[in-house]
Amino acid sequence: MPPIAQYVFNGIVTGSILALPAVAFSLLWRLLRFPNFAVSTYLTVGAFAAFAFNRGLGWPIEAAWLAALATTGVVALAVDHVAFRPMRNRRPFALAIASIGVAFILENVVRFVWGNDYRSYGVPVTRAMNWAGLRVGREQLLILAVAVALMLLAQIFLVRTRLGIAMRATAENPLLASIKGVPTERVIALATLGGGALAGGAGVFLGLDANVDPLMGGGLIISVFAAAILGGIGSAPGALAGALIVGLIEEVGTLLIPPTYKTAIGFFVILIVLLVRPTGLAGARG
Amino acid sequence: MIAYLAAIATLVGIRALLTLGLNVQWGLTGLVNLGVVAFFAIGAYTAGLLAVAGVALPLAWAAAIVLAAVAGVVMAMVALRLREDYLAIVTLGFAEVLRLFLLNEAWLTKGANGITGIPRPLHAVFGRHYDIFYLAVVLAAVGLVYWVLQRVSHSPFGRVLRAIREDETVAAVAGKSVFRFKVQAFAVGAAIAGLAGIFFAHYLAYIEPNMFLPQETLFVWLALILGGSGNNRGALLGSVVLLGLLEGSRFAKDVIPFLTGVRLAAAQQMLVGIILVALMIYRPEGLLPERRE
Repeated sequence: MPPIAQYVFNGIVTGSILALPAVAFSLLWRLLRFPNFAVSTYLTVGAFAAFAFNRGLGWPIEAAWLAALATTGVVALAVDHVAFRPMRNRRPFALAIASIGVAFILENVVRFVWGNDYRSYGVPVTRAMNWAGLRVGREQLLILAVAVALMLLAQIFLVRTRLGIAMRATAENPLLASIKGVPTERVIALATLGGGALAGGAGVFLGLDANVDPLMGGGLIISVFAAAILGGIGSAPGALAGALIVGLIEEVGTLLIPPTYKTAIGFFVILIVLLVRPTGLAGARG
Repeated sequence: MIAYLAAIATLVGIRALLTLGLNVQWGLTGLVNLGVVAFFAIGAYTAGLLAVAGVALPLAWAAAIVLAAVAGVVMAMVALRLREDYLAIVTLGFAEVLRLFLLNEAWLTKGANGITGIPRPLHAVFGRHYDIFYLAVVLAAVGLVYWVLQRVSHSPFGRVLRAIREDETVAAVAGKSVFRFKVQAFAVGAAIAGLAGIFFAHYLAYIEPNMFLPQETLFVWLALILGGSGNNRGALLGSVVLLGLLEGSRFAKDVIPFLTGVRLAAAQQMLVGIILVALMIYRPEGLLPERRE
């Protein structure tokens, strides 16, 4: 049986993958005021886009990853334009229901084209490194590095750039922001594009770490939700911390409970947060 | 042919109950329940397990409905404490965890094998006319629930629920305990889903966890939005149209040759998703809009 450090390491990798859609989900929730259930399905879209570029066109995985980032961003933008934009002023729950419909459509488009089978990318086989009994895959290290870099970029964008600040202002108070001259629709479009790209990129990571299949993203929705709620809705660093915690609990938790209950862990994290500290770790007010 | 129609009509009736239940939660009160299938499963499994264990049927049925309602109360009380958005994920997560539980706790639920040999009440009396008898009972139950819900919807209780849906601050200012009404509405919807589960278990005489996939919840939503949420008649109409849609698209396989089983299922579900989203955008009031009082 591997040492507990192995579970911790796996948890950090899982958490850093989870962080990308969690940040996208959390920021979009704050910005558009509804939980967008389609975000986790964007992982599936990204994973299969990369699969098409990698296996179909024979691109190396790095190029396929970038192409998947772009493809998923555009898909998210198109979804927003077709489905969510006409509903901007409706009850948040109506939008949440529509987003579930969108997730269902995307998942089944993937299933229609590629079927239900598990697939994997064409990548050179590397041997996992061994550090004092800890198995560390090269891909895992790469995933960790790129995920951390992406999170840093996102944070710099939100804090340092004009558009990033405009985005946070719109999330905080849409009316005031638009009075102050923030182009609300452009901010939303940019957030959607960026959020979709982050989630799509995470999908490729997930496909590298495990498999590519039509349910891979949708099955994560509870974990993504848990990370966002844990971090406090609308807080990017909060969602990052939340994702790491959820990832760690999910992996280390398999020591205590059967792995078949992995998705249940996210649910119990949500329940505990709701009961103990409903505003999340960052304490953002809803 | 008659047997086929009776089977279809029975399933429409069971779906209609689920849709009526969701209408109390979403249609009247504006509460999102993404775990309809969980309360359906609780009803089916409680009734099925107790009946197989030899518990008197009326007792098993009462237990099934009560358990579904209690689960609804617990979900609502946990989720509605702070933000309503959380009810969506709590119910969705609950349905998923419950399905895992049904799959993995074989000591209680028989796991993936499912429960077999659930008794079909009064089967000896009706013999080969049993399907017609069962259909009549299901339709009577739908009629009864519909009648009760119509009464409820026009009662002071129903008006409070609609007031909460439209503007809960106003309802609170008018002195109504918004939280309590929401929890009650959620429990009523869950109990009706539990009732639908009872009919389902005894009709098939066999249930297993994969009958309770998340997509079933989406089908109920589609039926409600399609028919007209907030309107009990709309809930009934939506259930009929939905089953026509699902059954009808099954025959597409005979017409379009290259459609494999997986592709057909995917196309069917795509269609369900597209209709749902299109309705939400262009006709959220559905085929039979709720009448304004």
